[in-house]
Amino acid sequence: MRLASVFALAAGLGCILPWGSGGQAQTAAPAAAAQKLPYIYTHWRQFTTKDGLPNDHIFAVKADGPRVWIGTEGGLAMLDKRTGKIRSWTEKDGLPWRVITGIDVDKKTGDVWLALFGAGLARFSGGRFDHWHQMNSGLVNDVVYAVAVENDNVWAATTAGASRYNTVTKEWTVFTEKNAPMEEIWNYGVHYGDGKVHLAVWGSGILEYDVATGRWKDYLDPDGEMEIDLYRDDGIIHVITTGAGYVDKVLWVSSYFGASRYDGRHWRGFYNQDSGLPSDFINNIAVRSGNEAWFCTDKGLGAAVDVATNTWVAYTRDPKRNTGYAVVTRDKQVIETVETGLNIPHNYTISADINGNDVWIGTAKGLAWGIGKDYYPGLRERGVMTASARSASGGAR
Amino acid sequence: MMGRLLWPAVLLAAYLVGAPKTPVYVGARACSTCHGARSMGSQYGLWLHSKHSQAWAVLAKPESRVIARLSGLRDVEPQQSVICLGCHATAAHTEEWEREPEFRIEDGVQCEACHGPGSEYMTESVMRDPEAARKAGLRMPGERECMKCHQEKGSHIAALQKPVFDLKQGLEAVKHPLPENPVPGPVPAAVPADGKAEGPRFAGSDACGACHRGPNRGYQYSIWRSSQHARAWAVLGTARGFEVAKEKGVAEPQTDPACLKCHAPAAVPARLASARVEEGVGCEACHGAGSEYLEDAIMRDRTAAAKAGLRQPTRKTCLGCHDGNKFQYDEAVKKIAHPTRTEAANGIAEPKYKNPLNLAIRPGGAELWVTCETGDTVAVIDLATREKTAEFHTGGAPTGVAFTPDGKRAFVTNRLDDTIAVIDAAGRKVLKTIPTGDEPHGVATDNQGRLLYVLNTSSDDIWVFDLAALERVKTLAAGRGPWAASLSPDGSALLVTNTFSHIRPLRSTLLSEVTQIETERGTVEDRLQVPGANLMMGIDWHPSGRFALATMNRTKNLVPMTRLLQGWTITNGLAVLWRTGEVDQVLLDEPDMGFADVTGIACTPDGRYALASSSGTDRIAVVDIQLLTGLIQRSSKYEREHVLPNHLGKPTEFIVKHIPTGRSPRGIVIAPDGKTAYVANCLDDNIGVIDLARLEPAGVIDLGGPKEVTKQRFGERVFHSAKVTFHRQFSCHSCHPDGHIDGVTYDIEADGIGVSPVDNRTLRGILDTAPFKWEGTNPSLSRQCGPRLSVFFTRLAPFTPEELSALDYYITTIPRPPNRYRAMNAPLTPAQRRGKEIFYRTTTNDGREIPVENRCSTCHPPPYYTDRQRHDVGTRHPLDRQGKFDVPHLNNIYDSAPYLHDGSAATLEEIWTIHNPDDRHGVTNDMTKDQLNDLIEYLKTL
Repeated sequence: MRLASVFALAAGLGCILPWGSGGQAQTAAPAAAAQKLPYIYTHWRQFTTKDGLPNDHIFAVKADGPRVWIGTEGGLAMLDKRTGKIRSWTEKDGLPWRVITGIDVDKKTGDVWLALFGAGLARFSGGRFDHWHQMNSGLVNDVVYAVAVENDNVWAATTAGASRYNTVTKEWTVFTEKNAPMEEIWNYGVHYGDGKVHLAVWGSGILEYDVATGRWKDYLDPDGEMEIDLYRDDGIIHVITTGAGYVDKVLWVSSYFGASRYDGRHWRGFYNQDSGLPSDFINNIAVRSGNEAWFCTDKGLGAAVDVATNTWVAYTRDPKRNTGYAVVTRDKQVIETVETGLNIPHNYTISADINGNDVWIGTAKGLAWGIGKDYYPGLRERGVMTASARSASGGAR
Repeated sequence: MMGRLLWPAVLLAAYLVGAPKTPVYVGARACSTCHGARSMGSQYGLWLHSKHSQAWAVLAKPESRVIARLSGLRDVEPQQSVICLGCHATAAHTEEWEREPEFRIEDGVQCEACHGPGSEYMTESVMRDPEAARKAGLRMPGERECMKCHQEKGSHIAALQKPVFDLKQGLEAVKHPLPENPVPGPVPAAVPADGKAEGPRFAGSDACGACHRGPNRGYQYSIWRSSQHARAWAVLGTARGFEVAKEKGVAEPQTDPACLKCHAPAAVPARLASARVEEGVGCEACHGAGSEYLEDAIMRDRTAAAKAGLRQPTRKTCLGCHDGNKFQYDEAVKKIAHPTRTEAANGIAEPKYKNPLNLAIRPGGAELWVTCETGDTVAVIDLATREKTAEFHTGGAPTGVAFTPDGKRAFVTNRLDDTIAVIDAAGRKVLKTIPTGDEPHGVATDNQGRLLYVLNTSSDDIWVFDLAALERVKTLAAGRGPWAASLSPDGSALLVTNTFSHIRPLRSTLLSEVTQIETERGTVEDRLQVPGANLMMGIDWHPSGRFALATMNRTKNLVPMTRLLQGWTITNGLAVLWRTGEVDQVLLDEPDMGFADVTGIACTPDGRYALASSSGTDRIAVVDIQLLTGLIQRSSKYEREHVLPNHLGKPTEFIVKHIPTGRSPRGIVIAPDGKTAYVANCLDDNIGVIDLARLEPAGVIDLGGPKEVTKQRFGERVFHSAKVTFHRQFSCHSCHPDGHIDGVTYDIEADGIGVSPVDNRTLRGILDTAPFKWEGTNPSLSRQCGPRLSVFFTRLAPFTPEELSALDYYITTIPRPPNRYRAMNAPLTPAQRRGKEIFYRTTTNDGREIPVENRCSTCHPPPYYTDRQRHDVGTRHPLDRQGKFDVPHLNNIYDSAPYLHDGSAATLEEIWTIHNPDDRHGVTNDMTKDQLNDLIEYLKTL
């Protein structure tokens, strides 16, 4: 969870439907019987403390096969997808610190790495917690926002720089302004993919570390404006970034001011005002492909599902009616609205992960599991979803 | 600058960058450009005449190899050892870039060894300003600096039989005062070299030394450098030299042709630039000027070499300079003998024992493979004939052996080399060696022959290799010191013992781990916790698959050692590791007889018995499995947790027999037919055969080790025997496995009962780090291992003088593993390099000068990185009786956690992040986190 998110949570946010008024979902525009439309997650399950989560503030989620690791404000949990059962660990079980802001799983070893907000880094392996902090190790700072496994290395994004721990040589390396193009050292996010580590740094944009060459590259806001994005699509929209994802050699970036996408040649910015992004205040990001990224905002969840047509699906809930909606937009125009039943349990979304066809969303009020039965990427010709169609596809639970 | 216009690299860089430079070493020859003249007191000549200039050369002497052995340097050339070179050379701890190209390590202890690297202060203008010179790095050493190297060393005393160094005499021997009005100048100009001179020209002995060095050339260059010949020119500059010259009417002997004719024959025009007059009587003085024959191709052709001017000196050659009336030719020739093969080259012959450690039966059941740790081999036994049929080299210190399921390939861990040997089992041929983590010990394959697991006992991890590609695919975190592995009968679970307890908070019970790997995914599935246990080693699954048995110690480190009489210091037993994840513990000791150092375990195929070896008492315990499991099952939860793990009376209920073995039985294995067991009698160099029908010894299989029992071997046996302890509860090895540490703090009576637990310290390479104990109260090993041991530890009659002497000798020879973070002469990584700057820094980040007594390098000077004094670094605990503690050496410091006298620092970082709040243990609180990380990376290289 980003620090600003923590503050926002503390203030107790309400739930707002960003495109509607008075909490009423707009009716979808009349549509042709069949047109190219994205997949909509209509089958959701929610998990809260009632289901065994140690806390409803879900700061991190990471799916590893049938195991889904959940980092909360009050401990670690693991949901077994097969049984729906949740097991949890708190400090009395050996968890070094209860607030878990980031999770990554080493696919090879199965070890679970935990970013501990204020207590460093932990590894959960075979039931044992190992703990590294700034007093007993080379970790640069105990306020760790995010963690990412890169080959034999584990990267930690901390409030005082990034740390890299080599699990084979046991060497720690600190990256700060001294040895990286880090104008600010407040690291919010870290992601590894396709041979690159990306750091999302408050005030320093996105820093890209090429694992093969050991070289850094920085992505800053070229117009240098803090308040406005003076020139569209000239780079990342703001240097205060919150997350990054690099898949298919496409870089997706989240910030508190909107989202960016870079295909190696062209940048493109996305804002609430001209896309289906529910809000420009983005806490986190999960990337499925170069064409699809999910953004956790303070006003719901936005999924960019087809970049070429600027098609989005936003997921939110109506607290008054205790139901949820999926709203499909294209260039901000709503082309379909589907009532999904309760999908995400709170519009303040904090974390996300994508695992196969499924998506996992951590919110300020529990975890949501979007079951992607018959998921398809991009757009496909289908009719506008009707109630019966929803029911046929699984419906809401 | 006098006599030397530029040392280009340094000065140019300084000019270009304009920043303070890291001083580099320029070498004594550079110093001679100003300090060679008589007007400077002939200081260079005086140094050349001193033993300091020969310090490197003497490392070629046979006794140096003895010293190296006594310093824990196994099979190491002293001239290649950074430990030896630390005091016998200059700048041994530096990287190549820190030495000017002209710097020669062969010049031994040079000016800069005492005065600091000279690149920044060597110019005359700086040197004339004492403050500027000091700021530029010039040191004026005091007695303390001398004693960093000249402090009494047990290894040197033992090998050289020389009296302790007398500092006063030493200072007198190396004094080199400046005259009242010094005038810088080079060594006196001799006859200038004439580039146009015809015929053979002198090339200088350094040119000869390029080839005629090292053990394969009889250390000929070193022998010359150690001789009077090499000082023949220098002696002319001594007071005695001038005196003799004066008698002969010569005022300046170092330039007088008559003197130089015999004291520096190269002082002729016919010489190359490489030939130095100062070398005195060099190789070419006797063998003829070498310019025409020094090429390798010519030297390999005797006729060609002779034709090119190579001479074989004769009596006449010598008499050309030596007074025929006084000169004893035969004796003189003997004195300077430098044959190509020397005793030194051959080393001090010590028998090479085998030390069989572990064994495995090759699938098919016909062969027993045995790893021989000190033999560096694997021996193959034909089980039908019970004879050794093959033995071959696999690498340094082989420890574990495993096979592919089809038995075609074998894998042997080479603990010393950090490799695994991949072996064609039928051909007994090492096909490949693959790098592993630090100190690979155990090794196992899965049932499918898909993955290979290598247990790296020093880096606390398990490397998983793809067997087809022989490539590491992942690294699994183990406990501390993964040791041995056993695959469940169904192949689904691999259990790995870890020999050390996790590092525990001060005054907490030990807690060991058995790591459970799920073989389908090759991931850690569980970590079974074994409270109170340490030194978990052998492991074997029961054929039922319901449980596995693992050996263990239960070290009672939280009670004073005085409880030995109650059987409460170290107990030995088995952990029963149930498939369900439960863990039981039982002892194998009995009230009147311990079962010290239980190390090996094997279950019979029918599941009836388990055989456990006690390397400290030379026995095997036969455990009746039904009786054991029955005892556990009928015990209450309380009894299983508190009684069975501690009750010395219980083992009689399930141990049905003790079988005597050879000395120090270690690994044990049972033939597939269940009729015979084999045990590695480590210190007898044989394999014991056990008839399982009769539960009796049935002979031994000799591995062919030396029959002679050397002092070292005898000491090794004493070290591993529990004979000396009350009721044979433990041996030296119990607390110092592999001569190292068990990672445990002990409450030793000598420090005050129950008040001040102290961290165990390694025995590797300790002889020259006296005094011993954290309080530094034991001046010698014999004191440490003699009366003190019997009073405080063993509670029995002390060792006999013969045993004690042998034990001490053995301890000194316990090898020190090579440093895992920096190979000899390897460049430092950037982080290590930055860390080194911090280690040697003299100012804080904000420019404050760090007092000399609070700099890292003051108390931790190379080569051992200890000044062997006691200092108070602010780590005293309220119950400690005093705060001054012996400075530990830092060699291989990374593998001896926990740290500080009481083991209160679990990691190196904690020494400074937690235990140095007032900057008394070096000034560290101004450092940034990355600086501390760098410092630690450097410390690991020492």
